[in-house]
Amino acid sequence: MLIGIQKEREAAQLAGTALHQDQSYRAVVKRQFRKNRMAVWSLRVLYVLAFIAITADFIANEKPIYCKLDGETHFPVLRSYLIGLGLDSWEARFFQYGWHEHDYESVIWPLIPYSAGTMDRKNNNFVSPLETQDVPSWRFRHWLGTDQLGRDIAAGMVSGTRTAMIVGMVSMSIATLIGVFFGALAGYFGDDRLRVSRARLWLNLLAFFLAYFYAVSARAYALQEGHFGREALISIGIALGIFLLLNLLATLLKRSPVLGRAITLPMDLIVMRLIEVMNSIPALLLILSVVAIIESQSIIYIMAIIGLIRWTGIARFIRAELLRVRSLEYIEAAQALGYSKWRVIFRHAIPNALTPVLITIAFGIASAILLEAFLSFLGIGVPAEQVTWGSMLNLARSQFSAWWLAIFPGVAIFVTVTIFNLLGEGLADALDPRRK
Amino acid sequence: MLQYLIKRILIFLPTLLVISLLAFGLSKAAPGDPVEQRNRGLGDEAQRSLANADRVYRETAAYLGLDKPVFYFSIAPAAYPDTLYRILKRDERETLEKLTAQYGNWPLISSYYHQLRALDRNSETTVPDDVARRKVRPLIKQLYLGYKDSRITSLLDQLASITGTDTAQLARLHPDVVQLQQHYQAVKAGAKPERLYLPDLKWYGFDNQYHNWLSSFLLLDFGKSYIDSRPVADKMKDALRWTLIMNILAISLAYLLSIPLGVYSAVYKGSLFDRTSTLLLFILYSLPNFWIATMLVVFFTTPEYGMDWFPSLGLGDLPPGAPFWERFVEAAEHLILPIFCLTYGALAFISRQVRGGMLNVIRQDFVRTAWAKGLNARQVIWKHTFRNALFPIITMFASLFPAVFAGSLVIEVIFNIPGMGKLTVDAIFQRDWPVVYTVLMLAALLTMAGMLIADVLYAWVDPRVNYQKKKA
Repeated sequence: MLIGIQKEREAAQLAGTALHQDQSYRAVVKRQFRKNRMAVWSLRVLYVLAFIAITADFIANEKPIYCKLDGETHFPVLRSYLIGLGLDSWEARFFQYGWHEHDYESVIWPLIPYSAGTMDRKNNNFVSPLETQDVPSWRFRHWLGTDQLGRDIAAGMVSGTRTAMIVGMVSMSIATLIGVFFGALAGYFGDDRLRVSRARLWLNLLAFFLAYFYAVSARAYALQEGHFGREALISIGIALGIFLLLNLLATLLKRSPVLGRAITLPMDLIVMRLIEVMNSIPALLLILSVVAIIESQSIIYIMAIIGLIRWTGIARFIRAELLRVRSLEYIEAAQALGYSKWRVIFRHAIPNALTPVLITIAFGIASAILLEAFLSFLGIGVPAEQVTWGSMLNLARSQFSAWWLAIFPGVAIFVTVTIFNLLGEGLADALDPRRK
Repeated sequence: MLQYLIKRILIFLPTLLVISLLAFGLSKAAPGDPVEQRNRGLGDEAQRSLANADRVYRETAAYLGLDKPVFYFSIAPAAYPDTLYRILKRDERETLEKLTAQYGNWPLISSYYHQLRALDRNSETTVPDDVARRKVRPLIKQLYLGYKDSRITSLLDQLASITGTDTAQLARLHPDVVQLQQHYQAVKAGAKPERLYLPDLKWYGFDNQYHNWLSSFLLLDFGKSYIDSRPVADKMKDALRWTLIMNILAISLAYLLSIPLGVYSAVYKGSLFDRTSTLLLFILYSLPNFWIATMLVVFFTTPEYGMDWFPSLGLGDLPPGAPFWERFVEAAEHLILPIFCLTYGALAFISRQVRGGMLNVIRQDFVRTAWAKGLNARQVIWKHTFRNALFPIITMFASLFPAVFAGSLVIEVIFNIPGMGKLTVDAIFQRDWPVVYTVLMLAALLTMAGMLIADVLYAWVDPRVNYQKKKA
């Protein structure tokens, strides 16, 4: 890669045109990336999708954005955020009548005046986008048709965009965190550089056991019966506390000659074995069976499981990069300056290894979105009332005449997956000039 | 080479162990009671009397091997007894666990439980009147599941007031109820929560559920289905046939088409053919196969759109006795669409790899030398270039196993073909764990075997790869 940059530099100098151009690694990569038209277009589509995902509530909502009712001005969409936070509550009349039933003095509806879950009883039972619909005006038309319950497909597409984006981002963030951690351990320390005292090794093994016992085993009842989120946080706190305490103890015990003797831990070997094990697990089957046994279905579990399984690619990338980087002069300089090993890893080694990981992340997001769509297509793990691309596509199987249910969500999945794949390709090309 | 093979196979063992633990742990964490699940079909006769129901339950549990301890050891608070597994009914056992988690005093909880069972038995023997009995039985049944203080207290109070004021028959139960109340008070008074924070390692020996399952698995006995008690191996044998037929056809088709395609577009890089085929293949590669499958089903198997060209889902309904040729034609008609769906993804993936691999090699010096020597195009391309571009195709061969398996899972579900994928998804939905973990284990084995085969092929194609002296 360095050679590539050098060549680039030489070429620029020879041409004598771009001497003033920024020659930093990132700038070079950025220029390379911009040359790839498909990738640049994918990035633009991604911006649009991200915009839809973020502003989904203002694009498709059964509540008006602004309305004037009996002389009072309301901003119902904005207010629903406050109400979601528990800071406000609706007046009684908003409960008694649907949002579409009021006589507003003036009103601004969102682009699609339906939420994903809004059931339009007049237009239920699969109304096609092409046939005449029972709506007050063209403004309330179901442009992409409805499903059996009268839910608007266009609104479902918008909410599906949000779900897909969240799943992709969150699951890959989890995977990146885990992957970077293990990859850095393996790559920076290799098989020879991590030396720990006997005391620390044994005490950490003990800490594993104790943390499992006090955080999981002894707290099983609290975790099951109490508020899960809170209890889980307490458990994590207990586990961290145990590790901290025993590591402090280890620092004290290190002075003793017997316990303080250092052992070399083959981190690379351990991590690579772990990756090998993870890679031989049939991921789809595992995810299916894990998701099937979770009683409270939620998209959160799906994201967590995908993240916990899909980190191996990122870890391998980081490992390979760090194995290369760790013997470069600037790392040695940092070590010679006496910086702690964690500072060298996080401040000096990892930042330089992160850019190539973007490739894996882009492909990873594509596959995570595909997986989520597939799971909701099968109806596993996603709550029945949540509308996603996959769940809409699944409805097409129950009503063959509803072609709009088969086409639109499928196109959305296809486009999203494709742009992430194209982004990954574009990045790979930009980062590795030899691939031209 | 042999040494290397043995080493690799030894590395498999821990991996398999981890996967077996995962599968087994999942099956234990899954909600539901497999014994109840199996006995549901037995009808009321088995449930008529308590003793009879208990006996049936115990027999089924023993038949499924669920009357053994779960694992070799357990790490649990000292408050829990090591004989908890002997309480066979899952919901009762969990109630007792939760009581212990609150009060930490097992002997008192145990005697409360035995008193509850005594009350249950007596309610059957001393109250012959059906109508009267119906007043107390539901309350007793709920007591088996109650572990919250308020719930138990209110149930006990209700029982006490019913038996204290009611007819002569129910009054006979009153002493038992009072005794049960006393036992429960004793549990609450004698709470020993400190015992809950004392770790205790309990050893159960080798006669446990995990050990029995794994050892019979290694002897190729995969157990019996929870749903219909058929041996898992039999169910899989039937399913495997369809999956194999579909996948072997799809993979060979994909390879047959994609190798010439990839080679051709690499040799004529930049030509119109190359550009269009690259774009098309990229689109094919990104098309989710469950979408395409759904579209095909919606548009081409129904008369809705005037394109009813293929038979509907499943494999047709000819009896097994029908002539072979007719059965063959019927199956073939039903398999065209699924095989198409399986093929196009693999085709796109493989030919992209072939093209990439060829491009890496085609610019190298030895290829130029081959041209310079005056060899003809066929020799240069197939003998010198293609052979060296084989690496990615080979590594891919290994990763193709699990990918194809996962792919055919989707396709089988959508096209309703009774293959392995459909069997697995059905088993997951029905919580038929013996089937699920057998499939998990076999799929992992297949993946690892694929990796191994890839390594061996690697050495075969490229003599430079030498496994004997890896890393000096």
